[in-house]
Amino acid sequence: MLTAVVIRSGEVLQVRLVSAEEGKEVDLTECSFEPEASNPTECGPGPSPIIPEMKELAWGAGSFIVFALLMRFFLFPRLKKGMDSRYNSIREGHENAEATRTSARSEVAQYDAAVVAAKAEAAKVVDAARATLETERQAAITAANARIAAQREAAMAAADAARAAGRSQVESAVVDVVSSAVEIATGKRPDGSAVSRAVADAMSAGVR
Amino acid sequence: MIALEFPPINEILRWKDLFPTFNKIALIAVAAALIGTVVFLLAGRKDAKVAPKGVRNFAESIVEFIENGIIMQTMGRDGLGWTPFLLSLFSFIYLCNVPGIIPFLQMPATARMALPLFLSLLVWVVFIVTGFKHQGLAYIKNSLFPPGVPKALYLLVTPIEFISTFLVRPFSLTVRLFANMLAGHILLVTFALLSEALFQAEGNPALIPVGVLPLFMLIFLTGFEVLVAFLQAYIFTILTAVYIGGAAHPEH
Repeated sequence: MLTAVVIRSGEVLQVRLVSAEEGKEVDLTECSFEPEASNPTECGPGPSPIIPEMKELAWGAGSFIVFALLMRFFLFPRLKKGMDSRYNSIREGHENAEATRTSARSEVAQYDAAVVAAKAEAAKVVDAARATLETERQAAITAANARIAAQREAAMAAADAARAAGRSQVESAVVDVVSSAVEIATGKRPDGSAVSRAVADAMSAGVR
Repeated sequence: MIALEFPPINEILRWKDLFPTFNKIALIAVAAALIGTVVFLLAGRKDAKVAPKGVRNFAESIVEFIENGIIMQTMGRDGLGWTPFLLSLFSFIYLCNVPGIIPFLQMPATARMALPLFLSLLVWVVFIVTGFKHQGLAYIKNSLFPPGVPKALYLLVTPIEFISTFLVRPFSLTVRLFANMLAGHILLVTFALLSEALFQAEGNPALIPVGVLPLFMLIFLTGFEVLVAFLQAYIFTILTAVYIGGAAHPEH
C-alpha cells in the first residue's frame, strides 16, 4: 500500500508516494504523462531527453528493418519491374518510330532520286526533240529557199524573155517609124537592115 | 504583466506509454513503416503499362527522386543497387518527421534520440562494410592515408581522417537530424504556448489581440516544418549515399 505525502512550498505542491510497509519512497522517474491531459508536476524530471530510450530504439529499429527488408525484396522490385516494363515499351515505341522515320526518309530519298532521274530523262527527250525539230526546221528552210531561188530564176527568165520580146517589138516599131520618117523626108525608103542596125545601136547605147 | 511558464523539456518530449514498452514515438515509427509499406504496395498493384497517376505516380516520383536526385549525383550508375535502402531511409525518416505538424500526434519521432541514433549507426555499419567489401583491407589504408598527401602530413591528416570518417560521421548524422527536429518541435511549442498565454491574459485584456502575432508565427513555422521534415530526410539520405559511394569508390 502506498501513502501520498504532499509538501507545499509556496505555490508548488510536491507529491511523494511512500510504501507503508517498507517506508521506502517510490521512484517516479519512469512516470509518464500526456502533457495536456495531466498535471506535469506529478512526474519527476525523468531521464535526459538526449539519452535514447530502449523501447523507442527497439520499436524504431524493428519498424525500419522490416520496412527496409520489405522494400528490398518485395515493394521496390515490384514497382521497379512495372516502371522498367513501361520504360521499355516506351523505348521500344521510340525505336519503332525512329525505324519508321528512317525508312520513310529512305523512301523519300528514293522518290527524290527517281524524280531527278525522270527529270533528267525528260530533259534528254526534250533536247532530242528540240534537236530533231531544229534539223527539220533547217531542212524546211533550205528547201523553201531552194524553191524561192528556183521560182526567182524562173521569174527572172520570164521577165528577161518578156523584156527581150518588148524590146524587139519596140525596135521594129522604131525601125518602122524611122524608115517612114526617112522616106517622108527623102522620098526614098532607107535600107531596112541599116536602119535596124542603127536603131539597135541607139537602143543599146540608150540602155547603157 | 504576464508570466509565461514554459514546461520542462521532458514534458514536451516524453509520452505516456500506450501499453507497456510502447509509446507515441514507437507508434509513429511503426505507423511510418506501415504507411510506407501500404503506399508502395498500392503503387505496385496499379497497372504499370498505363501512364502512372495517383499513388503510383507519387511512389515513382520518390523512386526517381532518389535515383536521379541522390544516387546519380553522388554514386553514379553503379550505386543504383542501393536504391531500395536509400528509398527506405528517405521514406521512413520523412514519415517520422512529418507527425511533428500533424494534429494530435504533434511530435516528430526523430526529435527523440533513439531513431536518429539507430539509423546513423546502421549507416555507419553499412558504409564501413561496403568499404571492406569493395576495397578489402585497403579501405583502411585509403581512408586514413589519402593519396597525394606529403608523407610528413600523415601525422596530422591520419588522426583527423580517422576521427572524421569513423567517429564523427554517425555522431554528426544523429545530432543533425535529432537537433533540427527537436528545435522545430520546441519552436512550435513555444509559439503555441505564447499564443495561448496571450489569448488567456485575463489580467490585461489589451494583450489578447497581441496573441495573433505568435499565432501567425506558429502557422508560418508549421509550414516551415514541412520543408524541414523533407530537407532533413533528404540531407540524411544524400549524406548516406555520399558515405557509401566514398567507401565503394576510393577515388571519390
